[in-house]
Amino acid sequence: MITFRHVLRSEWTKLISLRSTWATLGAVAALAVGLAGAIGYGVSRSDPPANVGEAVGAAFLPLDFFVLVVGALGVLQMTGEYGSGLIRATLTAVPRRLPVLAAKALAFAALTFPVMVAVCLAAFLVCQAFLGEGGASLGDAGVTGAILGAAACPVLMGLLGLGIGALVRNTAGAVTTLAAVLLVVPALLTPVLPGGWDERVMKFVPTIAGQAMYGVGGNGTPFDTLAPAASAAVLVGWVLVTLAGGAALLARRDA
Amino acid sequence: MIEARALTKRYGDKVAVDELSFTVRPGQVTGFLGPNGAGKSTTMRMIVGLDRPTAGTVTVGGRPYREHTAPLRQVGALLEAKAVHKGRTAHSHLLALAQTHGIAVRRVDEVLGIAGLSDVAGKRVGGFSLGMGQRLGIAVALLGDPATVMLDEPVNGLDPDGVVWVRNLLKGLAAEGRTVLVSSHLMSEMALTADHLVIIGRGRLLADTTVDELIARVAVGTVLVRSLRTADLRDLLVANGATVTPTDSGAVQVVGLTAEKIGDLALDGGLPLYELTPRRASLEEAYMELTREAVEYR
Repeated sequence: MITFRHVLRSEWTKLISLRSTWATLGAVAALAVGLAGAIGYGVSRSDPPANVGEAVGAAFLPLDFFVLVVGALGVLQMTGEYGSGLIRATLTAVPRRLPVLAAKALAFAALTFPVMVAVCLAAFLVCQAFLGEGGASLGDAGVTGAILGAAACPVLMGLLGLGIGALVRNTAGAVTTLAAVLLVVPALLTPVLPGGWDERVMKFVPTIAGQAMYGVGGNGTPFDTLAPAASAAVLVGWVLVTLAGGAALLARRDA
Repeated sequence: MIEARALTKRYGDKVAVDELSFTVRPGQVTGFLGPNGAGKSTTMRMIVGLDRPTAGTVTVGGRPYREHTAPLRQVGALLEAKAVHKGRTAHSHLLALAQTHGIAVRRVDEVLGIAGLSDVAGKRVGGFSLGMGQRLGIAVALLGDPATVMLDEPVNGLDPDGVVWVRNLLKGLAAEGRTVLVSSHLMSEMALTADHLVIIGRGRLLADTTVDELIARVAVGTVLVRSLRTADLRDLLVANGATVTPTDSGAVQVVGLTAEKIGDLALDGGLPLYELTPRRASLEEAYMELTREAVEYR
């Protein structure tokens, strides 16, 4: 009999039985920690951080890129099934369909969040080790929250990717859409919006809200941002809207 | 039991399936036939709820497929070979589908065995041949020990051993009282496997009948007759309303009279016959006759 627990276990099996999942997460882990160390080394030699915010920012600077990689992993969870035709087998097994998308989201978060917490913690510690005296420590105000925020941000972008994947269905289109949302929208909005408006709007853009989740003392983006928790709420909102759109189409369209 | 009632699917202004009604009964193998583009695959996709009918209904075991609490126990379907992520092993693929219904891993190993894939269970599917992909697809169809098995072109890409395996498998499933619906373009294979036929063309039902009835109804049987006095024989048979065509071997092929009637006429006419062979039309001939009008070139 189909229960949500069963569907969740199925999606978990799908996620962990692909070598590409582990290759992607492994590469993200190695590069994120390695680059954090390299940045810590470079910054300590040229321009030591003036405060905790800058020290934390240095550790998570490469995250802007890995957000896109983890986002693409989320996209592929959906589009990989359409590309291979597996989606037909999946939706035949679970003809009510919506539990599939919910289970994919949950399985993705359950796998990537702990991994990203470990990665971000390691990246922080390695970076601070190179920064030496100028570095922040885990006990500093806001640091634990920043590490959790840095771990949650790519996970949420992955869920955004999952929703886009359910909407667009093919890998190339969905990855392009995700890249446009994460990179092009923030770059275009600033010149497009009339003066003053960008201050009010930019903090609600997914990329900026995501970056604000792991900023300490407002550092990390050149824009006015909301507090980390409020930024997280904004990003969660975007994720829910996108997943709801994907769910609506998944339920309605012929597979 | 599959029951379609006025099942209709339109894509824009193109009608793929047009008020199709038929019943697939348990305990026999039902062949689902029709030219390319006749709507077979669309119909099968509607049966398992992948496509939504524009109008009409189709039920499995008395209910629309998606209303079953354990649909894989109702219908096992093979709709396309290698509908599998290439990076997953055969075992993981089956396990993930089994887990949706809480089906035990033991059953996964069992269907891998039935499909002859036990040795490659741990291999990634990307390296599978088309035939192995078909076997994996059939393993998926059997996973839930379903009351209805529905296979779209299952023998595509299979070697002769595989073809015989599928034939025996389908007959065995029907003998166990299951409903078996199978589509194929191989008429000779269908003639060996199917008891009942549902034939469609351009989305409409052309025939819902048995193999024997179809051949009797549609195809014209012929009789091969050999005599030394060919000209006399021809005149005699033509005079009795038959159509007579000479063959390369010197015998004549007769349409329009039964072998018994020809024998009686020859006896009355004092013509010695050396061969009198009734030839039953093949399923392929009957099928071609039936679908000639419905073949669509696009």
